[in-house]
Amino acid sequence: MVSSDYAIQVRNLTVSYGPKPALLDVSFMIQKGELVGIIGPNGAGKSTLMKAMLGFVKRDIGDVLVFGKPVEQCRGAIAYVPQRGTVDWDFPVTVADVAMMGRYGHLKWWSNPSKKDAEIVDKCLEMVRMSDFKKRQIGQLSGGQQQRVFMARALAQGAQILLLDEPFAGVDAATESAILDVLAEAKKAGITLVVVHHDLATASEYFDKLLLVKQRLYAAGPPSLVFRQELLSEVYEGRLKVFTDLLKG
Amino acid sequence: MDTLYTLFIDPLTKIYFLKALAGGSIVAVVCAVTGCLVILQRMAFLGDALSHAMIAGVGAGYLFMKLVFGVEAAAGAMLVGSLISAFITVFMIGFVAKVSRIKEDASIGIMYTGVFAAGVVLVSVFGKYIHIDLMHFIMGDILGISDFDMVVSAIVAAAVLTVIIMFFRYFKITSFDPVMAASIGIPVLLFKYVFTGCVSLIVVSAVSMVGVILVVGLLITPAATAYLLTDRLEKMMALAALFGFTSILGGLYLSVWLNSAGGGAVMLFATLQFLTVLVFAPRYGLLADWQRRRNMVPQTVIEDIIASMYKSAKPVSEADIAQYVQTKPKMMKNAMKSLYNEGLISGSDIYELTDKGRTEAMRLKKAHRVWETYLHYMGVPDSELHAKAHVLEHYNDFESIDYIYEKMGYPETDPHGAKIPPVYSDGSFCLTAVYGFSDKDVEIVSVETDKELEVGDVVRITHADDGWAADKDGKRIELTDAEVESMTVRFLS
Repeated sequence: MVSSDYAIQVRNLTVSYGPKPALLDVSFMIQKGELVGIIGPNGAGKSTLMKAMLGFVKRDIGDVLVFGKPVEQCRGAIAYVPQRGTVDWDFPVTVADVAMMGRYGHLKWWSNPSKKDAEIVDKCLEMVRMSDFKKRQIGQLSGGQQQRVFMARALAQGAQILLLDEPFAGVDAATESAILDVLAEAKKAGITLVVVHHDLATASEYFDKLLLVKQRLYAAGPPSLVFRQELLSEVYEGRLKVFTDLLKG
Repeated sequence: MDTLYTLFIDPLTKIYFLKALAGGSIVAVVCAVTGCLVILQRMAFLGDALSHAMIAGVGAGYLFMKLVFGVEAAAGAMLVGSLISAFITVFMIGFVAKVSRIKEDASIGIMYTGVFAAGVVLVSVFGKYIHIDLMHFIMGDILGISDFDMVVSAIVAAAVLTVIIMFFRYFKITSFDPVMAASIGIPVLLFKYVFTGCVSLIVVSAVSMVGVILVVGLLITPAATAYLLTDRLEKMMALAALFGFTSILGGLYLSVWLNSAGGGAVMLFATLQFLTVLVFAPRYGLLADWQRRRNMVPQTVIEDIIASMYKSAKPVSEADIAQYVQTKPKMMKNAMKSLYNEGLISGSDIYELTDKGRTEAMRLKKAHRVWETYLHYMGVPDSELHAKAHVLEHYNDFESIDYIYEKMGYPETDPHGAKIPPVYSDGSFCLTAVYGFSDKDVEIVSVETDKELEVGDVVRITHADDGWAADKDGKRIELTDAEVESMTVRFLS
């Protein structure tokens, strides 16, 4: 049954590079407007799952549906915010340039961005409070500001789903709260947010729902359901003690 | 005058010079524009590979025409041959990198030397049939450029420039963020192939002028020179084109004056041009960097100066400050200059904190006291509190301070009982915290009252014996102590 009540549906997804599957029989559904965290240890297939949701990887079996339609037919419906480490911060582009890239998917190849595109970009930069930095080269921003520029680009795409790859990796406390503000604002606008996250300590605080992944989907649901001793110890083998503390606290 | 004429005008009257200038400029401009994308995609090595790999194609093309049609040195066939060998090399590089654990850089190293070697062997084994001057191939001959080469270069340049300008946006985004580009449905791989094709075409058309080794320089150096001067890709391309042209112009003069090989002189000039920019570039240059370092005043010194000026509460001279802040006189001068430029102090010789400076001082005080409170919490002995907090207060990213302050539950005083000033990261503060605000317009940032005051209002607030009053557009509004305590304001900047 195809239903578009869900922003993303993943059904029996199996992806493999070489003999060992990176993801095995993963199924879950994400409702519209939810703020969902994907957690799991290193090499658990979090980024593969992310690529699958963008429709980049060849699936062995299974479907990925975006608003009820196969992901391949939904280019641009999901906006992607890259990990900070993967961006060339010396690239000669300004904040406004990067945000305008969000509009590229809507432009015919022969036409230049219109006044309306510029207005949308302005609005999105306003939303992440980066309007004062339009002419700055992206390398001359602080970590939090850089993250916000890419959020603005994703918003400018007009996508209803945002996919963020480790936005909280290596940022300070103040930046972290600034990013959370933007996430909250996007959520208020009815946008579905899917965030790859590595820090278990904050995961239950930040997200409505968590997906615990390690090759398979171990748990999906509200943090109270996912943060169970036996589940975490199974997924994060040797490092149990930390989590016992975490569960208590 | 005569010497100037011989040096600058005379060469321009020679046909060979003008031809070299025209042909070279066409090649250099398109090389430079494309080179911008090449260096941003970190593909510099690929240009090198392509130019070397060509020799196999040149040899094969020569041999094919000679053996099949008996035509000697068919330029067209050699051109097609070199394009084919360039494409094969690119394909093999990608193939090896994809199917094995060999990474792309190593793969380039393997494939281009392999194809180059095949070319060298081919040319030497069939030396009887092939009359290629390897030296010409390696060094090029910009001063003896043939009409055929010129026409080919012009066509290639026009075609490549058209492609790059038409699809500029897509080249920009696929270079910058290929994953995002793919997610909005841009055929990233196709653009990669198109671009590699463009680079191959350019390299092949340029080799006959500047030779195998120098063509890479023409591709990279002007683009890199431009990269040091701008933060916009559009401008970078325009500047690179200009530098490409000046390289040719300067290089050709150089070669005439020194009576040297044309290609070598061109690249020498391009490199000197790059080095000059590297030193003198206003923002990313070595000199600017050195200057910045020299004038840099440690933030700790700046903040200590503000703190000491706030404490003395009257106009002070540099000598007065020097009693409290240990630093070199030169450093002090730079510090005062930068404080003045930021609008934190006013006056000359005798200085005074401005409103902005006073707010800044309050924030520093807050940072110090918040840190002391925090350290106290953490069980640091009282005797060490001040010294440790004095170090930490310089870590005063104000949003972080507010964050810690909030986590501690907004304590009113520090462990010594001193009041933690109610100033916040957005530059706002509570009226009771700052003196000397009256007679100045302030903007209300937050307020709790049922009187006619709202956030964003610009008012003038006075304090007299009978209490507080706000002057809003000429209307007087009386305020209670509680209302004043609840209110935060900001100086108009």
